[in-house]
Amino acid sequence: MLYTYARNKTAVNIAAGGFRMKINVMQDVLQANDRIAAENKQLFKKNNNLVLNLMSSPGAGKTSLLEKTAELLAGKLRLGVIVGDIETTRDADRIAKYNIPSIQLTTGSACHLDANMVASALPHIGLDKIDVLVVENVGNLVCPAEFIVGEDYKVMILSVTEGDEKPLKYPMMFKESSLMIINKVDLLQYTNFNLEEAKANARKVHPGIDIIEVSCTKGTGLDAWIAWLTEHHKKKAGSR
Amino acid sequence: MHEMGVAQNILDIAVAAAQKEGAQKITRINMIAGELRGIVPMQLSFCFGIVAKDSIASGAYLNIEEVPVTAHCENCNSDFAVEEYQYICPKCGSTKIQLTGGTELRIKDIEIE
Ligand SMILES: Nc1nc2c(ncn2[C@@H]2O[C@H](COP(=O)(O)OP(=O)(O)O)[C@@H](O)[C@H]2O)c(=O)[nH]1
Ligand SMILES: [Mg+2]
Ligand SMILES: [Zn+2]
Repeated sequence: MLYTYARNKTAVNIAAGGFRMKINVMQDVLQANDRIAAENKQLFKKNNNLVLNLMSSPGAGKTSLLEKTAELLAGKLRLGVIVGDIETTRDADRIAKYNIPSIQLTTGSACHLDANMVASALPHIGLDKIDVLVVENVGNLVCPAEFIVGEDYKVMILSVTEGDEKPLKYPMMFKESSLMIINKVDLLQYTNFNLEEAKANARKVHPGIDIIEVSCTKGTGLDAWIAWLTEHHKKKAGSR
Repeated sequence: MHEMGVAQNILDIAVAAAQKEGAQKITRINMIAGELRGIVPMQLSFCFGIVAKDSIASGAYLNIEEVPVTAHCENCNSDFAVEEYQYICPKCGSTKIQLTGGTELRIKDIEIE
């Protein structure tokens, strides 16, 4: 006898005249996104772009880091930025002040950028004039890790005004990130954030993760970040 | 909420597979979701109900089988369940481990009429 299940999970007998069958599918749910991400990646490779997917909770300092990066990379590597935000265009304006190519993607109700949204920005940003492209994702620790956009590396920012147990609460995010930047270290003295604990927790979920401590407002630690960028850009350019 | 995006992708894949078989209706979708994906089944079911409303999957039951996080130790070759975010081998203490489960997000099969 055949049974099917309605949304309320009660078994319903549909044997009377009902034709039913099971079809094997075995497909990854996000395969459509992954396919577009692979196309983006091809384009990035052709243009020799190092591409980073920058993620964090809202307000951890993604845009602040990009402002500093624009300043510090000037004359060394050409930066480009794609910013995803739920509504406003303020972040792109902040970055445009530094005279670097930037595009704002408004995601509406979506809590992350996906490969298709990023693809839509690529024809307009001038990839051939960019060395390092950073995609500032929507502030959120759960979703963005699911949707790859064609990046070489995921980088995440944890600020000391968040908890040092965050890596354990959102393991996927930390597992997939090559680099964790701990921002706002200037505020350490006012918080109960334990730096060593945060690092240990991150390494628990991702033993090989790179960690850099910075303060975007005070400018401390940013040289290590610029060195990380330069090294990884060199690596990418060399692998062509 | 990323459940909405995930729900739309589930619908697209299921409808494409059903149409290939000439089905009129999808009654059930069986999928697996690794715990690391952070999917909340209730939310995903709810979102799926919304995106599927005007499709052949309207009213279909989304069956979500959650897959626990498991790992393999490269040092001592033991397989174990990762509990309480302990990404460390319980046998030898090594952190050289490979995840073997917990990141899946896949549609297994669908039932059609
Ligand atoms: N004290 C302190 N505040 C910071 C630091 N970096 C960023 N902020 C502040 O944190 C707030 C959010 O920064 P923003 O870059 O917009 O975060 P985003 O949402 O991740 O892009 C702003 O008010 C920044 O001035 C830092 O290193 N120290
Ligand atoms: Mg921002
Ligand atoms: Zn072991």
